[in-house]
Amino acid sequence: MHSFGHRANAVATFAVTILAAMCFAASFSDNFNTPSPTASVKILNINWFQKEANGNDEVSMTLNISADLSSLFTWNTKQVFVFVAAEYETPHNALNQVSLWDGIIPAKEHAKFLIHTTNKYRFIDQGSNLKGKEFNLTMHWHIMPKTGKMFADKIVMTGYRLPEQYR
Amino acid sequence: MDWQGQKRAEMLMQVLLVASAVAAFLAGYVRADFQFMLLVYAAGVVLTALVTVPNWPFFNRNPLKWLDAAEAERHPRPQVSAGAAAGGKKKSGKNK
Repeated sequence: MHSFGHRANAVATFAVTILAAMCFAASFSDNFNTPSPTASVKILNINWFQKEANGNDEVSMTLNISADLSSLFTWNTKQVFVFVAAEYETPHNALNQVSLWDGIIPAKEHAKFLIHTTNKYRFIDQGSNLKGKEFNLTMHWHIMPKTGKMFADKIVMTGYRLPEQYR
Repeated sequence: MDWQGQKRAEMLMQVLLVASAVAAFLAGYVRADFQFMLLVYAAGVVLTALVTVPNWPFFNRNPLKWLDAAEAERHPRPQVSAGAAAGGKKKSGKNK
């Protein structure tokens, strides 16, 4: 601490060390947030349902996705990535996940939404197992913080069923 | 900056930085505004640098009192005698 340069260096290094501690504390404070998100997805229509030339089933549907994810946001949240996946079981795979729609929520003001859309990504099975298949629609989300730990969770919505016949 | 001043500068630096960090965190948390926390902390760091980095007069209140040159010549340092030093060296050499 005997010269100007030494003191400037000491201030800078100690300030950055404390900044790291503050970031850690900010990330830790996320644990005190107990979110209560809600989500619901309605299948308004099965637009078409067919077997492709290569033998894989594909279905197109119109969805009504509504959710209130504003309770996920804390002061340390940068954005929330959210996607809706169809999840079902086939003889070959215990869990199939097909992403149908996704979105990035940049701020708390946009976290309560209602979206009317056809499936953004194609719903194709690995094989021909979709006729009359019962499946879940699951809303997954990943909370991206400004600093620290990333959180992920989901809401599972059950009781959806595909038609018995191609159309 | 004298010895007491250096000690005081380091103490001040640490106390000011920790205090501004705590204040910034609380302010940011209460306002739920991460950027506000960073701004308050940045202000604290700038203030700390202004207080502790320049050589302010209040860091120089305990100047060292050097002996006068003439006074020092009147009381020369006691010299270690050449014989004792040589004997010591021989002994340590043998022991090795």
